[in-house]
Amino acid sequence: MTTDLFTEYERGDFFDEVFDARGGVRSHYRPLLERLRALAPGELRHRAGLRDTILRNLGITFAVYGEAQGIERTWPLDLIPRIIPADEWHQVERGLVQRVRALNCFLEDLYLGERAALREGVIPAWLVQSSGGFCREAFGIPVPKGARCLVAGIDVVRDAHGTYRVLEDNLRTPSGVSYVLENRATLTRVLPLAFAHRVRPVNHYGASLLSALRNLAPPSASDPPRIVVLTPGIHNSAYFEHAFLARQMGIELVEGRDLVVDDHVVFMRTTRGLSRVDVIYRRVGDEFLDPAVFRSDSVLGVPGLLSAARAGNVSLANAIGNGVADDKAVYAYVPGLVRFYLGEEPILPNVDTYLLWDRDQRAAALSRLHELVVKPVDASGGYGIVIGPKATEEELAGVRKAIEAKPRSYIAQEVVALSRHPTLIDDAPRGTGRIEGRHIDLRPFVLTGEKIEVIPGGLTRVALRKDSLVVNSSQGGGSKDTWVLAAGENGASR
Amino acid sequence: MMLARHAEDLFWTGRYIERAEDTARLLDVTYHGLLESPLLDAASAWRELLEQLYLDQAFSAKGLPVTDSAVTEFLVLDPDNAGSIVRSLARARDNARNVRERISTELWEEINTLFLELHARDLRTDLEREPYQLYRFVKSRCQTISGVSAETMSRDDGWRFLLLGRMLERAEMTCRLLSVRFRRSSRAAVTSDVHYWIAVLKSVSAFEAYLRAHRAQIEPQDVLEFLLLSREFPRSVLFALRASESELVRLGAGTGPTRPERLLGRLRADLEFMDIHEIVENGLLAALDSLQQGVLAVAESVERHFFRAAVRPELHVCESV
Repeated sequence: MTTDLFTEYERGDFFDEVFDARGGVRSHYRPLLERLRALAPGELRHRAGLRDTILRNLGITFAVYGEAQGIERTWPLDLIPRIIPADEWHQVERGLVQRVRALNCFLEDLYLGERAALREGVIPAWLVQSSGGFCREAFGIPVPKGARCLVAGIDVVRDAHGTYRVLEDNLRTPSGVSYVLENRATLTRVLPLAFAHRVRPVNHYGASLLSALRNLAPPSASDPPRIVVLTPGIHNSAYFEHAFLARQMGIELVEGRDLVVDDHVVFMRTTRGLSRVDVIYRRVGDEFLDPAVFRSDSVLGVPGLLSAARAGNVSLANAIGNGVADDKAVYAYVPGLVRFYLGEEPILPNVDTYLLWDRDQRAAALSRLHELVVKPVDASGGYGIVIGPKATEEELAGVRKAIEAKPRSYIAQEVVALSRHPTLIDDAPRGTGRIEGRHIDLRPFVLTGEKIEVIPGGLTRVALRKDSLVVNSSQGGGSKDTWVLAAGENGASR
Repeated sequence: MMLARHAEDLFWTGRYIERAEDTARLLDVTYHGLLESPLLDAASAWRELLEQLYLDQAFSAKGLPVTDSAVTEFLVLDPDNAGSIVRSLARARDNARNVRERISTELWEEINTLFLELHARDLRTDLEREPYQLYRFVKSRCQTISGVSAETMSRDDGWRFLLLGRMLERAEMTCRLLSVRFRRSSRAAVTSDVHYWIAVLKSVSAFEAYLRAHRAQIEPQDVLEFLLLSREFPRSVLFALRASESELVRLGAGTGPTRPERLLGRLRADLEFMDIHEIVENGLLAALDSLQQGVLAVAESVERHFFRAAVRPELHVCESV
């Protein structure tokens, strides 16, 4: 083999998505690598420039926007796609569907049912009630068909053995799906030759989401129901996605000030007066939704919205109060909830987790804190995480103190040696660009409609900093187009 | 029917794009007109332009001398000047971004790219070295935006508000252009200077259309009539008002004319059936001024009727469509 992009690639002591333990290329990556290796030197860097132009012109950005400087950071898309073979994906998909089914059952039972899991000790009642995401106001608010996690983003990682594990559940307003679609559209334009495989499409997401939202229409809704997307507004970092989804579904994107509640019915302000709204896909957090119930200083919400939902005149997706189920301490009980509500063994395992209010587990965790990851139970976006092996003595002492003061507020987990994937590192000002291994995770998107559906693949996030395990885009993460191969596609070139 | 806030954003997207384009036109014609007529007093020409754009006070607040470079920089690239081309296009982009999901991706891409490219240029150097190229760039890119919107947007209410904004802004700006030129011509005794009127026509891309209509006879009064009253030429005041009116009619609920429709209908009829000699005899500048005020009144009425109406539930509940 001649010198090429991968000659100097260091596989490292991790599970590598492309290269097996002996350095051979996994069969489902062979056609892609053949084509990448055939590229002229510098060609990938040239294509990276093209990618940046396309993303910038389309305004696919994620930084906070300000008129003065006007130039946002473009979305970081790596040119080398991640590939998941059909059979492997089939297992992941089954596991995700199972997990979301159980979570929907748990939430429905908690807020409208018998609270069986609590009564029977599957999960401690005090733990549920002390969760920041637990919401008393959600009691009695009907959710048609129990579709509480209408959109779930379940973060999945692969450990040192390549086993897929759930790292966390995002059941409130998970974001990132627009980038799944834009990544695919961009890669087909920038690197068409890479598509050496039959890849399952993702661009039906808008239609699937709309049909799931229709399924949620209250009995009193008009036919077809009027559905809107509720955004906090243009300054929200995910605004691009909110606009994207409204456009994909062909429905209105509204802000709180566009809606008004009268006699427990929600209306939007139009050029011809007020018009009734039946279903709201809201991307505004619980605490900002209704200033009459939650934070009275919220200007993002709609006064009276909860009363309208309680009267069954409008449906909200995702449902209010879902945060209790993506609390990181409640996470440890999800496998138990799967067994309890579905009578099935969980298909996707969790990451081993220490519950720190339990004296024995706490003692065990504190004795080897330098080997564990500590996470606050209610934060997302990678904030507040302390990774033991990389932390200083002061940081460890600080987190130890914090745990001892508030054991309910943290969990500790084994460090997962996230799988790595070859990634184009083009920070060098000259040269042809290098390819190095970087840690990745995966956020698949799961929709609860008439059936539970998973969009093939999801958002693969990349920790762009060398050896970093933090993949969040707010912390310098990148992304990859994620290919799920069509059934029968085992990697043979076409 | 559409969300009132979105209608407003589209209306203003249309206005700002048109404003940027027309400002480039006005600058182009003033700047090159001065070069061709070395006897004219440059400072008073620039002052008149600033007055017509209602920006004379904002400019004098800067304490700068009235020179070519100071005024052109103020009108093209000054970020503090709400009426500068750069600011107009930034606001057009802000408004378009607010309704990102309602406009086509191609249209958004055109607006966004124009904004980004303008920011990437060294505008000061462009103004020094090749102002013609810069104005041409702005004009042609604004026209591209119109073309892309016409070819990619459905003729729904969103499209109508976009077009209504553009056309009302255009009617007003053409009035301003005529005021600037006729005020100057009455003072500087250039009324018979053919080159002067050719420049005016060219500044609104009307030269060739005018020649076809008037068989190469260039008379100031004919130029005035053409730019005010042509039914065929898309930048004449009457054309812009008629286009606005037909969009307003379609935007109505079909229950009789709305308030903006009444105002505009009267304004358009007054103009349409007026004799050009009559206008000149009764005082052209006053007529242009009252026309301009009439257009502004229509725009304000559009805002009140469509964007601020849906406030009290008991008054405005309408049937779901």
